[in-house]
Amino acid sequence: MNETVVLKRKDRIVKKPDFTEKKSYRPVNVKETGLSFIGHEISEDGNVMNQFFHYDQLYTIRHGWNSKFFKGLLEGKIWGTRCPKCGDTWVPVRTHCWNLDCNLEKTEWVEMPLNGKVHTWTVAGWSGRSSLKRLPIILVYAVIGKSKVAIANELHGIKPWDVEFEMSLKVVFKPEEDRIGAVTDFHFEPADGWEPSPIHQEKERIKELVEPVYKWVKTLK
Amino acid sequence: MLRKVCIVGGATTPFDYGPTGFESIEGGAAECVRETQRDIPEFSLRDIDLMIYSHFSVHFGHQLAAEWIIHDHLGLVGIPHYRVENGGNTGGSALYAAALAVMSGHHDVVGVVGWETMDSVSQSQGSEFIAMASDIRYELIVGGIYPIYYAAMANKWMKDNNVTEEDVASISAKNRNNAMDNPKAQWYRNEHKYITVEDVMNSRLISYPIKKYDCCLMSRGVAFVLVCSEEYAKKVNPDGYVTIDGMGLSSCTIRAGDRLNFPGWTERYGSGYPEMTEFGACRNAADQAYKMADIKNPLNEIDFGEIHDAFSTSEAQIYKALYLADENNIAQFLRDKTTHMYGEIPMNPGGGLMGYGHPVGATGLMSAIECFYQLSGMIPQKHLSKKTEVSDPECGIVNSHAGTGTSISNFIIRRV
Ligand SMILES: [Zn+2]
Repeated sequence: MNETVVLKRKDRIVKKPDFTEKKSYRPVNVKETGLSFIGHEISEDGNVMNQFFHYDQLYTIRHGWNSKFFKGLLEGKIWGTRCPKCGDTWVPVRTHCWNLDCNLEKTEWVEMPLNGKVHTWTVAGWSGRSSLKRLPIILVYAVIGKSKVAIANELHGIKPWDVEFEMSLKVVFKPEEDRIGAVTDFHFEPADGWEPSPIHQEKERIKELVEPVYKWVKTLK
Repeated sequence: MLRKVCIVGGATTPFDYGPTGFESIEGGAAECVRETQRDIPEFSLRDIDLMIYSHFSVHFGHQLAAEWIIHDHLGLVGIPHYRVENGGNTGGSALYAAALAVMSGHHDVVGVVGWETMDSVSQSQGSEFIAMASDIRYELIVGGIYPIYYAAMANKWMKDNNVTEEDVASISAKNRNNAMDNPKAQWYRNEHKYITVEDVMNSRLISYPIKKYDCCLMSRGVAFVLVCSEEYAKKVNPDGYVTIDGMGLSSCTIRAGDRLNFPGWTERYGSGYPEMTEFGACRNAADQAYKMADIKNPLNEIDFGEIHDAFSTSEAQIYKALYLADENNIAQFLRDKTTHMYGEIPMNPGGGLMGYGHPVGATGLMSAIECFYQLSGMIPQKHLSKKTEVSDPECGIVNSHAGTGTSISNFIIRRV
């Protein structure tokens, strides 16, 4: 008897999302195999054994209240959030204010301008397996619009040795059909009209460091 | 009245990548306990009334609650146990938990076992697992590996503090060369060579300004530390025990980019700190530890340290966060080799993460153990020579560090 009552109430107060728009970009070789022992090896003297255990799981990242940001990326927009009490604004977003005196005030969504400024930067000559072919990669932490925080992303359209602190940037999105609703849907490029400064000692040093990286990447299949 | 907390013993397995001779974690833990018993024969497993386990990632371990396997193996059924996890600061946090347990008076003799088996997956998979402690929605997906975030922070820090690539390379060479005196160190057991600043400068680019030799090692290893009340310390190791006189644990943002204007920091240290360049949590944890240990001038009062050199650049940043130097003299502090063995405050005589290795859950404990060996006069028996023995030390600092500076602990440890 009680069960029916509970079920009815649940039905009334919780609206289950109906996922109508679906897209899969899973590479063909990715499979969830579950847990299994798939092999072993034993040393020549018979003293040591290694066993190969495999598991590969599919996770669902439920973006929940952060969904608007990630859905915005699909649409070529950068959404930030703002605290209605103190006015602080963020990308990456916060769904509640970080000021202790705002007592976790719920924030409101604001569309951010598609420009920013380099806060700090680095030139990667090594990375995760999936990014090796794209090396060297310039990573910047940039402040978008009036955000109180910096967001990390790649900077394209510039030589690795020409990046500067505080340089102005624009946000550039991938073509719509290539977007997946992740921060990699966009990257930064130098703002229109930006010109690199003349070559100097540090630029020469970065050149020296990235030259072998360019060469090495060419040898990758 | 809080009780005094002591360390009476501890040991690690050799740190390595691949076969080490201690290839089961429970076997490694048992060997660490046995080595501790050889050092302090009065210590019996029957004395332990709490076990704390220090382990970072079950991704590496392919076994949830692996501490239960170790605990059974040590024969400690019935003794309470739990695991502490706090990123790269897992070891420091486990030590903190053990110290609190003794300090409160609720426990007397607390064993801490830490481990990581990072060689159970490929190196590139391992890097990715570690980077999963960055925010995967915003950072993992663009940066891919931790050195990139550290490099971005260090690049600006070095500019702001007039520190050069050579200045930090000297730290890389120092720690690896110190490890050449330590038979358990991964650098000693593998590459096994002395290196120069030049070698560091010529090693391959990882992420500017960080190069291969500016980075720590990925490791397998186990460590054990015995934390206890002074009463017990006097019983089992009356001449060699040390006391944890100060400790601090603090936190900062998971995403480094979020700390430019974080209100919590502005309140503590004024606006613009820690920026993206300073380890605010390290400074805050130092403030707590120094206050507790009554340290007014750390450079004069601390004799040496075992600190978290995940990168040479971070070791330099840590010096500043610990108030050993400021923006006006940090570059000179480095050029004067103040933290080399013959300097005013030797840092990482045990080899640090770059020389000894970095099996995450065991790392902070390794640092504490090396600090204990120095203070209790055990270096000649634990290292290969007296070259890496700090001369007559009374006070050491242990530092453990997580994320991009997201959790940091500091301990002030003194000889009695
Ligand atoms: Zn607010």
